[in-house]
Amino acid sequence: MKALVALAAFGLVLAGGACADEAFVTNQSSDDLSVLDLAAGQPVATIPIGGRPAGVAVSTDGARAYVTSPEGKTLSIVDTAARKVLAQISVAGGPLGVAVHPSGKPVYVADWYNHKIHVVDPDSKSVTADIQVGLSPSGLAVTPDGKTLLSADRDSNEVSVVDVATQKRTARIKVGDRPFGVTIDAKGERAYVANVGTNNVSVIDLAKRETVATVPVDERPYAVALVAGKAFVTNQYANSVSVFDLTSFAKITDIPVGDYPEGIEASTDGASVYVSNWFANTLSKIDVATLKVVKDIPTGDGPRAFGTFIRKTP
Amino acid sequence: MKFQLLAAAALAVGAAGAADAHGPTRQKTEQTIEINAAPDKVWAVVGNFQDMSWHPAIQKTEGSGGNDKGATRKLTLQGGGVIEEELNTFDAAKMMYSYRITNVDVKVLPVSNYSSKITVKDAGGKSQVVWDGAFYRGFPNNDPPPELSDEAAKKAVDGVYKAGLEALKKKIEGGS
Repeated sequence: MKALVALAAFGLVLAGGACADEAFVTNQSSDDLSVLDLAAGQPVATIPIGGRPAGVAVSTDGARAYVTSPEGKTLSIVDTAARKVLAQISVAGGPLGVAVHPSGKPVYVADWYNHKIHVVDPDSKSVTADIQVGLSPSGLAVTPDGKTLLSADRDSNEVSVVDVATQKRTARIKVGDRPFGVTIDAKGERAYVANVGTNNVSVIDLAKRETVATVPVDERPYAVALVAGKAFVTNQYANSVSVFDLTSFAKITDIPVGDYPEGIEASTDGASVYVSNWFANTLSKIDVATLKVVKDIPTGDGPRAFGTFIRKTP
Repeated sequence: MKFQLLAAAALAVGAAGAADAHGPTRQKTEQTIEINAAPDKVWAVVGNFQDMSWHPAIQKTEGSGGNDKGATRKLTLQGGGVIEEELNTFDAAKMMYSYRITNVDVKVLPVSNYSSKITVKDAGGKSQVVWDGAFYRGFPNNDPPPELSDEAAKKAVDGVYKAGLEALKKKIEGGS
């Protein structure tokens, strides 16, 4: 009987391990992608990319990671389970921000030199359209219903609202200076934009198409993660993550992390937030309940992880 | 000639239109040196944002705000040229401060969006000085000319750090 219980527990452990989260972290300096097993808290693979990879977007089903290389001017399609690059698609200009449509395609790539978004079909491996937006589009995000694409236009101090069906910009929303990362909540009601130049986060009401609040954070915010009714914001120059309440917008705390924190995302179970520390070459795990760093996992050199980089394994 | 004019025009736009415009790949570097002196003795030399006379390339430091966050300084270099900087954090207990360049001509230092940190650490009674830098190349767009490339930026910053740390070591060990 005792043995059976032990066996059952063992089975649970195995099952738990099999569907743990994995992170796909772009290492810009070492030119590769780190695959980190987040349950075990350790790296499990390194995938060569080239061209100074920066942006990443994992598909909703977790099967693909799309990686931008702004120097190499490519979009790499990565098979996440096989840990290999399936294709590299040439895109013009400076591909940086990237997002995948919730249905799995197309893939949107922000070109921050030519001020447009390239629409890429991952099946035909080609650019099928260009969408004109503001200056230096950076972070991209698609609403959960798949109808709307947002682009943080860094040098216009605006967020562009793009209609996915017509592939046309339908609105421009004024935000703070130098908006960079943009994150949409699970209901598709609000978007949160990190403003590098004004050290704050703009909160956008997507139905009203306007900024409804501006929340101060610390020096040079980069990107935002949303979980448990809180926003977690990386501050590149303060080496911290600012946490604020999504209802009152009151600041809760600042969590010290590694040097130059950049990409940030919540785990799929909502229990943790992972932060990529560009200078420190680590991924910090923040416990959402205690708001403390509980682990640092080594990455390659210069991890940026700009975008959505976590997948749940099948 | 045409290219140079275009490059100059592009730089002018970069400087005027968007002070924060930069290339796509941030560079990092870290230089360290061991100094045969107690950390507080080394900190006494480097731990003042308003005095960079320990660096051989610096002819004059002028500034305001002391060592408070937001303090500024203007460094005049030996061969002419100026660099303006702002103090970001200052922690005397940890013997560390971080700062950023707010204004520099790429002909003086071929970087943009430069930030840096100096730390004095204890190394068994001796000191280890760590100088970290994070910056983008001087050219704000893709396909930079060689003198404003990622490599040129890193080489220039490494040169500044190495010269400074070696002079610091010589000054402190020579004086003790």
